[in-house]
Amino acid sequence: MNKEIYKEFDGYDRIVEERDYSRKYGLDYSAHKDSADPYFLRLHPKRLTLRVSESLQQTPSARTLRLVSPERTLPPFLAGQYISLHLEIKGIRTSRPYSLSSPPNQTGFYDLTIRRVEGGLVSNFLLDQVQKGDILYSSGPEGHFYYNPLFHDRTMVCLAGGSGITPFMSMIREVLECGLDREIYLFYGNRTLEEAIFHTRLEDLAGRFDNFHYFPVIENPPEGYEGLIGLISGALIKNALGRLEDKTFYLCGPQAMYEYCLPELEGLGIPKRKIRQEVYGPPNDITRAPHWPEEVSGEQRFRISIKDRVVVEVKAAEPLAASLENQGLLLPTLCRSGECSQCRVKVLSGKVYQPAGALVRRSDRRFGYIHACAAYPLEDLEIMI
Amino acid sequence: METFDVIVIGAGNGGLTASTALAQKGLKVLLLERHNIPGGCATSFCRGRFEFEVALHQLSGVGTPESPGPLRMMLSQLGVMEDLELVEIKELYHVIGPGDFRLDLKTDREQVIAAFQEKFPHEKKGIEDFFNLSYQYAFQMLSAFYFKDPDPSRDKFPLLYQYSFKTAQEVLDQFFRDPLLKCALSLYWGYLGLPPSRLSFAYLAMLFFTYIELKPFHIKGGSQALSNALIHRFLSLGGTVRFNCGAEKILVDQGRIKGVISEHGDRIMSRYIISNVSPVATYTSLIDPEHVPVTVVREMRGRSLSPSAFTLFIGFDREAHELGLTGSMTFFPNSTDITDNNLIEMQRLNMRNPFMAMSCYDLADPGFSPPGTCQVSIVTLKYGEPWLRVPPAQYHQEKFRCAESLLQRLEEAFPGVRGHIEEIEAATPLTHMRYLGHPNGAIYGFEQYAKDSLFFQPGRTSPIDGLSFASGWIGDCGFQPTLQAGVTAAKAVIRELAGK
Repeated sequence: MNKEIYKEFDGYDRIVEERDYSRKYGLDYSAHKDSADPYFLRLHPKRLTLRVSESLQQTPSARTLRLVSPERTLPPFLAGQYISLHLEIKGIRTSRPYSLSSPPNQTGFYDLTIRRVEGGLVSNFLLDQVQKGDILYSSGPEGHFYYNPLFHDRTMVCLAGGSGITPFMSMIREVLECGLDREIYLFYGNRTLEEAIFHTRLEDLAGRFDNFHYFPVIENPPEGYEGLIGLISGALIKNALGRLEDKTFYLCGPQAMYEYCLPELEGLGIPKRKIRQEVYGPPNDITRAPHWPEEVSGEQRFRISIKDRVVVEVKAAEPLAASLENQGLLLPTLCRSGECSQCRVKVLSGKVYQPAGALVRRSDRRFGYIHACAAYPLEDLEIMI
Repeated sequence: METFDVIVIGAGNGGLTASTALAQKGLKVLLLERHNIPGGCATSFCRGRFEFEVALHQLSGVGTPESPGPLRMMLSQLGVMEDLELVEIKELYHVIGPGDFRLDLKTDREQVIAAFQEKFPHEKKGIEDFFNLSYQYAFQMLSAFYFKDPDPSRDKFPLLYQYSFKTAQEVLDQFFRDPLLKCALSLYWGYLGLPPSRLSFAYLAMLFFTYIELKPFHIKGGSQALSNALIHRFLSLGGTVRFNCGAEKILVDQGRIKGVISEHGDRIMSRYIISNVSPVATYTSLIDPEHVPVTVVREMRGRSLSPSAFTLFIGFDREAHELGLTGSMTFFPNSTDITDNNLIEMQRLNMRNPFMAMSCYDLADPGFSPPGTCQVSIVTLKYGEPWLRVPPAQYHQEKFRCAESLLQRLEEAFPGVRGHIEEIEAATPLTHMRYLGHPNGAIYGFEQYAKDSLFFQPGRTSPIDGLSFASGWIGDCGFQPTLQAGVTAAKAVIRELAGK
């Protein structure tokens, strides 16, 4: 076929002229090289270098690390978002997400408030080893737990448990410090009053601002304690709020709190769309999670072979991503709760346990992909990273 | 040092089909992907109980199993059809607005003509003639180029010679007076990024022809299911893929491809590279300037960047019919303007521009979202450059502001929907820049004026020996063309290797 018939098409000459003009006066793409990168580095840096400028004791078991950047302004964030610290502890490279507890109306510093977890590798390191002047590395701000003006109600009801207070502290301070036209109810559950991080500060804020209402809820109160006691139950919430309509509920705390509070909210008739839930890392004991196979003990060990490379031995009850880190194999991670999909890997053979709530795409499930931070080996595995 | 027959950079649509086609011929192929997941645009993400489709709205070129189209045949040849479930979409598109104008089109030529004629009785004859022209044009185009007529001529293909370089608006003006009709007939311009005043009539005619005759399709599990099926096939053919590992540099020596240096610093040798990365990034970021031929720089100068998109992904806690959503693809023009004004509007940060489209996947595939829910994605076209001038500290606010105006437009069309939002996510042109790595977040690659068609541009080839391209940047954009571009690029490499 004569491939050049288009040269006889009506209007051909005009288009050639147009093309040649545009080549003469067009864009110089070499100037375009990476032009958007500086912008992204301000919003979504690959890695942030942070210096600990203050270390403030909050409660006997919790401390706030104030982080500044030695070289740049810190990226903006939405109150409720987290950063993921990249750490090397005892030769193990790992990461942990921490909600920012400082408000987003300033980005001169980020505050991370860390509570000691018994036997916790990272929390103990951050509380005992990290000092003023030390350098830490992190991701930029991430996460989807924030007030969304597109569909959330202007009244927020926050249910916090333990160190789950941190994202709320950022939200509360933003609303109060910036004088935003929103109202916040905070129910804050702790075993004892001493463990309640920011307690005096929250009481003080509640005394000064009409649009902030603070309800500490104490599980094991001292004798004669007059505040709310027990767990954050539906009855307790209903009693404090009266009307439940036109309110959005936010939950952040340990697994046990979700297991208790979510059915309570459902019992109050709160629709799913009004309930926002922050991810909170793996549960303490995965073998107690629903549908964990009885025949596999948490201490059982399995061999993981990584396509064409190495074989390692890991414990059943430990998230695969963490086990691999212990063996020096670092996967990209952010949320460590099965949500962000960074640690997506393919299982070529063998069975894994994946807790409900891991947000794995349907076609990923079908083709054997898992989120390694929320997957536990039940057999010897072969995986592809 | 590692050596491969071919290295494919980027696991987007073009990279995936190229790698699979190469591996099918027994070649040793390395596929590099800087993200942790294959697909590029052809992907999805999860929020709450929803999995949102990112990019695919109406897959073209599939055809029914009885009369398969080019894409179905290609996917069968690649050996991925048994891993895919394709669902035919029974509607062409719905139109809501401007004002109280409504139009529902099915994928049936007679119904389409009748539906237009019912709304525009005063243009009855023109409508019939316009569709006749579009179809005859499509036949002539396919005879000449797809079926490769050995002896084409103006006598044989008069419409091809006469209409190929006319704009859609020129042809619409020739047939019609009613501006609303011209608007409703040319809404597919959003799939290509140029308003009818600039869009080639050829594209509009071919879109009507292929969507009506070969039907639009949806993929069960969304476009990620296609990407996963392709990578699965590639792996089972013995291909090597590295995720979280982009190419840092393409090695060139005396005008000939030598290999790549990966993001992790590995030197990997190959005499052939198929780049699924934009030519802009390939030539300006991956290849050292002294190896970039001047002709390439000159040719690129004549191209401009297509719009990016501002997209809203919404999950509702009601089923589509409960919310009054009836169209699997709906356009919401808020004016009848089909002129260059659209180009100006796309440069602005506000969301008043006429083009807005919405896909509701659950209508074609009732199991797409969890029971009792549905999801939509709302797309508007926006050039990316103005977004780079939003101060980073104001970025979130700007994103919410733009999303808010789209939601208002949605609420106007479907009163009450806002009360049922369970999840929402917005993607701005910056999001597209970040995830696709396309300059200015251009979702359609280079703009597709008539001067940018393959008659006038270099296409997938490069003056650098061993380098070729497979993506929406080097020809037509969209799923079907990019999937096909990968196979075409692979075939050329296979031919060259066989000739040696």
